[in-house]
This record gives sequence, structure tokens and C-alpha cells, in this order.
Amino acid sequence: MFPVLSLVLLTLLAGTVVTFAAGRYARWVALFTSFAFLAEVAFLLASYPGWPGYASGTVPGFADQESYVWIHLGWLQVNYTVGVDGISLVLILLTAILQVATVVYSWNEARRPAAWFGLVMLTCLGCLGVFVALDILLFFLFWEAVLVPMFFLIGYWGGPRRRYASLKFFVYTHVASIVMLVGLLALVFYSGASSFDYGSVYVSARSLVTVTQTFLFLALFFGFGVKFPIVPFHTWLPDAHVEAPTGGSVLLAGLLLKLGGYGLIRWAVLILPQGFHEAQPLLFVIAFATIAWGSVVSLAQRDLKRMVAFSSINHMGIVLLAIALGSSLGLLAAVLLMFAHGIVSALLFMVSGSVHHTYGTRDIPSLGGITPSTPVLATMVMVGSLASLGLPWLISFPAEFTALLATWDGLTYWVLIPLGILVVTAGFYIWMMQRMLFGPPKGIPEGVHDLPWNESAAMGLLVAATILFGVLPFFLVNLITSSPIHGFPGT
Amino acid sequence: MDASTFVGPFVPELLLLGAVLLVFLLDVLEIRRNEWLSTVAVAATSLALLSVLGDLGVGFLSVFATLPPGLIDATPSGTSLYGFTSLGLIFQAIFLLSALLVSLASASRPSNEKGAPIFYALLLLATIGMLLVAIASDLIFLLLAIEVTSIATYLLVGYHRHESRSLEAAMKFFIIGALSTVLSFYGASLLFGAYGTTNLYALGHATSSGGFPVLVLLGYGFLVAGLAFKVTLVPFHAWAVDVYDGAPSDVSAFLAGGTKKIGLFAFFLVFLGPILFIKATGAGSSPFSGGPLDLGPVLTLTLAVLAVVTMTVGNLLALLQKEMKRMLAYSSISQAGYMLIGVTLGTAPGITGATMQIFAHVLMKGGAFLVVAGVAALGVGPLIDDWKGLGTRRPLLGAAFALMLLSLAGVPLTVGFVSKFVLFSSAVQAQGYFVWLAVAGLLNSALSVFYYARVLKVIFFDEAPGGAAAAVPAPSVEPLGAGGLGYGRAVAIGTIAVLIVAFGVYPQPVLGAIQSAAQHFVSVGV
Repeated sequence: MFPVLSLVLLTLLAGTVVTFAAGRYARWVALFTSFAFLAEVAFLLASYPGWPGYASGTVPGFADQESYVWIHLGWLQVNYTVGVDGISLVLILLTAILQVATVVYSWNEARRPAAWFGLVMLTCLGCLGVFVALDILLFFLFWEAVLVPMFFLIGYWGGPRRRYASLKFFVYTHVASIVMLVGLLALVFYSGASSFDYGSVYVSARSLVTVTQTFLFLALFFGFGVKFPIVPFHTWLPDAHVEAPTGGSVLLAGLLLKLGGYGLIRWAVLILPQGFHEAQPLLFVIAFATIAWGSVVSLAQRDLKRMVAFSSINHMGIVLLAIALGSSLGLLAAVLLMFAHGIVSALLFMVSGSVHHTYGTRDIPSLGGITPSTPVLATMVMVGSLASLGLPWLISFPAEFTALLATWDGLTYWVLIPLGILVVTAGFYIWMMQRMLFGPPKGIPEGVHDLPWNESAAMGLLVAATILFGVLPFFLVNLITSSPIHGFPGT
Repeated sequence: MDASTFVGPFVPELLLLGAVLLVFLLDVLEIRRNEWLSTVAVAATSLALLSVLGDLGVGFLSVFATLPPGLIDATPSGTSLYGFTSLGLIFQAIFLLSALLVSLASASRPSNEKGAPIFYALLLLATIGMLLVAIASDLIFLLLAIEVTSIATYLLVGYHRHESRSLEAAMKFFIIGALSTVLSFYGASLLFGAYGTTNLYALGHATSSGGFPVLVLLGYGFLVAGLAFKVTLVPFHAWAVDVYDGAPSDVSAFLAGGTKKIGLFAFFLVFLGPILFIKATGAGSSPFSGGPLDLGPVLTLTLAVLAVVTMTVGNLLALLQKEMKRMLAYSSISQAGYMLIGVTLGTAPGITGATMQIFAHVLMKGGAFLVVAGVAALGVGPLIDDWKGLGTRRPLLGAAFALMLLSLAGVPLTVGFVSKFVLFSSAVQAQGYFVWLAVAGLLNSALSVFYYARVLKVIFFDEAPGGAAAAVPAPSVEPLGAGGLGYGRAVAIGTIAVLIVAFGVYPQPVLGAIQSAAQHFVSVGV
């Protein structure tokens, strides 16, 4: 079979290497690679055998699977195994869209452009790898490989406290991945799996006793949870976001947080059903705490970017809640939410970046009535905020609706907690828009220009995706529901 | 005895010995230019390396094989002084690689440096001792081989004899080294008293036969202490930092990357026998029960505690350091703790992991010290803060150093990640309380990220004080090629960087060889 996924990985890898070496042509190489990547993803989607109309409604396993020997030592069988199902395809599509948007948005990056575009592409390469890896070492390798470029993106191009923020980001996520690695290794060696492959671990982990499963699940949950981020371990996120350059924030919120959700679904919930079942109450408590905390703290923020960052915590809390429900409807909601949040938060971070360099501040109370002077920017603020609060016809709506439906299905009246908090979320966005966009002009310097073409184009792409998938969510829903999620509790 | 069967096994050692004599001859002929002497050392070590790789049967290199067939991995007789195991040959290759890289980098030392012949002669002599350690199968032979290396390295450390720091380090190294030798030999004499043999295979298989439990315990206790000095295990580590710091950086690269590892191989040789034998036979219950002596659990526990304490203390102290070399020295101590995990496990996977970690450490720590030496030659001070802005001024050098630090921290796609992955996997694979060794090791790697990341931050993100103009120091001696670094050093650092990535991406050739060697090593029971 033709090795499509390796080709995609190779495209990005080659593009990244050339970008680093391309000097002042780096942005063109990056743009070309990003479009090639997008085209390849389109091909992957078109050839995916899980669509309605193809022979079978559900795919028995992973599509485009490839497996090559990597390290074989008898007791240690590691392969290069990749493959996709609907869940990973949705997130790969997100990666491709965000890569194009980030490259276009930062088109005029003046500080060391070759390094900047190279690191952006390296981050996307790492995320793509996480989404396609079906071997524990390969997965972990890509997982860790994302950290390094992000550390440099924050640490070199970031704001005034960038050094502290980048170090904190690195240490938090690295410690978490170490705990996760112990969990993954124990998963292989305690279950007696014949190799590090997803398939063999999936089969042999079911023979583990409940206590072992629970411990393993908790170790993995901690590792994935810090990336989410879940509430007691979330403090790296606001710092990282506020200090990160706009492109870095876009990738951080749009892709890196999704790694946590994807990992939890793929490597913990689906593999350790009993451990998941035992840990469910804990997951609910953490999910509710994360939702409430993110929302309430957002309300108190004056800084636009900080507000968006905390609302990310809130949204990822809903993703965790949807996963914790342990139903296939919940799983569908979780993946939809991740895609929606990836697009919308990227848009909002771009907006706050543009507000910052158009008006010189992100302080919400010191701005007012910016609509007449920068109509395009104001429109983008509006679309992003409306999408984030879950307006129908925009992408978050189907996702949040499914999540609430699944919560009602699983927890009945507990659904009032996320529902109530969604109102708070809507509240702080509307309040922000009211203060910033409308009313008498305030804090507007002389000779303000509206968005440059590249920023409008990047945000326009995201707005188009927001509307397209908001109106036609079945495109994503079909992909997700045709994934091999048999063995999932509740199906 | 046929000459070929006698000479064949010792071709690497004889090559190096020949090079030592050649260096002295050149000295007498007053050919003392550093570059020439370095060429001799590089040629000798590379030929020896080729011969060892040939003996290991590495692809087309097997045309260089000199060992008579049937000699490798032969069943030990219980009386021989030396024997050839494939694991020993792999260690020889690792040692020779370290010596090769250091002599290559030393080509960039000032070409009229005084005492250059002595430097290379001592380097090669120390390497001969290391090669002998790797083939030892008798305790006394082993300790004498260690001594050959040690005496040469005492002198190497004090090679800059007009610098008080270097002299102090040499003195300290010598006194502690002598103490450790005394302890080891005393331990060996006690074991000889108990069993009447010093052959390692015989000792390994004798430990359960009872006799004089107190004598045996004391003997192994003294050996642990004596060898722990060489491996810089906490609490026997105090000398290491001052010595690595005071020695010329090229010598530090050789000490931390190369000679320290002979202590680890000695750990394999001396302690695996008893651990494995007890494990295999399941004999004994407690060392003082009067029944058969059970050394296994006692040794395992001792080594496990030493491993965890060493990696933790090394990392914590590394966090506090302000000088680059002292930071690297403490990180080197903590790495010894990781390697000890493999000995503690006493399984083929554990030995594989430890050996891979040793190989990785030769590259990354040796490389880091070589960069330090090169940067010092550029006129940069010893403090970590003196390196500010280096990554901007010298992107390639900065990138290579970053690669070594990332590898030390265990970041994927570097050889340091592969070795830690295999090592910690082997601990989890052994199950039981060994899993905690993996947890301790992983938490320690997380801790170590702090100080490596701090250095990266200083190199890449911090601006050099006084702007770019002040940051470029005037060269004190004649400027070298490769932008003041010197071609030899540049090639050595570049090679290391390439190897770190190559074996990080595709480690199977090395790992496969080490695994089958370790398998054999363990199955024979030393």
C-alpha cells in the first residue's frame, strides 16, 4: 500500500528543515509546505473509508496503517506504526488549518524569520505525529518533540516575562509527560503486551486487574491532564499564553491543549475501560472544578488575552466532562469541542494580538468604541466572541449542544452546572464586546490603521471554517462516529 | 604458543603502546608540534577502534578482525586472568571512541604548548589501562588495570603545572584515588582469604557456598566503597567536582566521558556474578543465618540505595552551580546514578540500558566538556552567565552544545533519550520494587531539565552584557581555523552532534549489538 501518512510526515519534515535553512525565503517555503500539507490532508479525508456511501459504515481498525521495525530487542519491541481513524483525522484537519493560518498571520515576522517559521512548522509536525502515532514510543516521542519548539517560541519571541513563562511551561509539561511515560511503560510490561503497538496493548491491557488499571489510568490521566489543563495544574497556561507571541498562543491553544484530550481518549479511556470506570467520579469533580474556575476567573480579567486564556481552561473543562461521561455521544462531543475550540481560540488569540499592536494595549477597560476606526478588526472580535459563547450556526454550537445533550444523558440534572456556567461565559464575552467595540471611542491613538492584509486573511480563513463547520457539522460528525470505538463503555 | 594467537587478541593495546613509544621518540627528535602528536594519537586510536569493531563483526569492518575465532564469549575457565566477552569488546570500543574524540579535539590546543608529548603519551597509556579493564576476568588483574588508568590520569589532571587550581585538583585526585585503591585491594584480599581465589567467575559462583560470611561481606563492602570512588557515587563523590573543574577541559571530557566508565564496567564484573548466581539458584536466606550466604539481596539493596542517592544529590547540587564546568561535573555524578540502575537490576535488559547510557554519556558529556574547552579558548569566562548570547554569536557551536544538553536532559530524537528510555523500560520490565528505580530516575530527569534549560536560556535568550561588540574577546594567541575553534575540535564536536542525532533516530544497530552481548554476559554469569 502507498505510505500516505509517512509521506505527509515527510512533507512537513522536509518543509521544516528547508525553512530553517531558507533565510529570507523562509516564509515562502513555510507557506508552500503548509498548502501542500493541507492538500494532503484533503486527500486523506477524501480517501478515508469511513464515509457514508463507502462499503462499510464503520471502519474495522485504522486506515492508512503502516508499520516498520524500529527497535527490536526481544523484550522491547518498538515499531514505527502510524494510522488514522476519524478522531485523529478531525484533529489533523485542525492542525493543517491552523498551520496555514499561523504562517499567514505572522507573514511579516521580522525577528529571525527563518527560525520562527521553522519552529512553527516543527510544532505542527509534532502535533501531527501525536495524532497519527500508533506506537507508544513514537507517540511519546512526538509528544515531547512539541515541547522544544514551543519553549523557544515563547522564550525568544515572547513578552516581557517570557523567560519565566517558557521555563514554567517546559517544566510543568515535562514533569507531566514523565509520569505519563511511567504509566505507558507499566502498561506495556504489566500487561505483557508483545510490542509497543496500539493494537497489542489494546488487546492485552484488558486482562489487567481493576486495581492495576486504576493506577495506570491515574498516571496517564495526570500526564494528559496537565496539558488540558485540569484545575490544580493549570497555572502554566495563563503565564505561557500571556507571554507567548500571537502565533505561539494560536498553536498553544489551538493544538497543544488538544494533545491532552486526544491522548486521554486514545491511550487511557479506550485502553483501560475498568480503570476509567473507577476514576470516573474523580474526573467529574475535576471537570466541574475546571469549568467553573476557568469561567469565573475569566470574568475578573482586564487583559483581553488573559481572558481568552482562562476561557480556554473553561472550554477544555467541558471537553474533559464530555470524555468523563464515558458514552459514545460524549466522545463525539469531546472531539467536536476540541475542533471547535481549536479554531475559535486561535481566532480569538489572533484578535487579541491584533488589538495589542493596533492600539498598543490589551487592557479592556482602557479601550472603547473601536468599531468605527477599525471595522474589520471589530468584526473579527465579534465573530470570535459569538462563536466562543456558542451562537447557533457557528462551530461551537453543535459541539456544545452535543456536550450538554450527552451530559443530560449521563448525569441528568447535573447538566445545570455546565449550562449555568455557559451563561457566565456568554456574559463575559458580551460584556467585553460592549466595553470594547461599542460606546464612545476611548484610548484610540492618532492614525490607527485597520488590519494588514495578512492578518485579515488568516482570521478570514478561521472565520470561514467557523461558519462552514457550524452550518455543516455532519462533515465532522460522520468522521468521528465512523471511528472504531467499539469496546468503548456504553457502546 | 603461536605468535598470532598471542598477539592477535592484544592488537588494540599494542597499537596504542606503539603510539606511546612513537610519541616519546618524536619528543627526543624534538618534533613537538601539537598537531603532529595529535595525528599520531588519532591514528592509533582509530586503528585500534577499527580492530575492535572488526572483532565485534560490524559489517564490512570484520576484515579488521584480529581475535582468533572461538575466543569471544568462550565459557570462562575459572582460572584465567583475562577473557574476551562481546560486552567487554563493546566497552573497549566505547573507551576508544572517547580517547579518539579527545585526541582529535586536542589538535586544536596551542601548537607550541609545552609538554604536549607527555599529554598524548599519558592519554594513550590511560586508554591502554581502560582496554585491559574491559578484558579482565580476575579481580587483581582488574584492579591493576584500573591502576594503570588512574596513575596516568592523576598526571593528566595536573598537566598544567603552573596553575594552582590544576595542581590542587591533581593532588586531591591522587590522594582519593590512592585511598580507593587501598580499599579495593583490601576487599580483594579478604575475598581471597575467604575463598582462596580471585577469579571473578569463581568468586561469583562461590558466594553461596558459605564459609566465612563476615569476611565475604566485608570484602564486598570494601570493594563497593573502593569502586564507588571511581564511579563517583554519592557519598564517595566529593573529589569529582573539584577534579573535573580544576583539570584542563579536554582532560575533564576524558575523565567524565571515558575513565569513569571503567569503574562501571568493574561494577558489572565484580557484582553481577553474585547477584546473578543467587538469582539463578535461589539459594540462601540471610547473610547471617549460618546457612548458605545470600549476598544477592544485600548487594541489590545497597546498589539501589546508592543509585537513587547518587542521582538525586548530583542533580540537586547541579541546580545550585554557577560555573559551567561544576554544573556539568555534578550532572555527571547524577548520570552515574542512572547507570547503576542497570547493575542493580542484574538482568540483560538492565545491562543493555546501562551500557547504552554509558555510550550516550561518552558522546554527550564528553562533547559538552569539549565545547567548554573550545569556548574557554575563545576567551569566555568560567561562569554560566559568561556564556550569555553565545547562541546568537556562534549559532553552530550553540546548536551543538544545545543538542548535547538536550540529550543529557533526555529529550527525544537524541541518543540520551533512547538510552534513558531503554534503561527505565528495563526497570519497569523487572517489575516489583524496581519500578521505583524507574520512577526515581524519571523524576530526577525532570529535575535535571531545570538546570539544562537554564543554560539554554542563558545561551540563546539572554543578551550579552555590553552589546555585541564587547562580547567578542580579542584572541590571546594565534587565531585558529573554524572561527577560532580549531579544525580538530570543530570536527570532534560536529561528529558528536551527528552521532547524537543519528543514534537518537535509529539506535537499532548499537542497541541490537549491546543487547546480544548483554544477553551473553548475563547467561554465562560473568
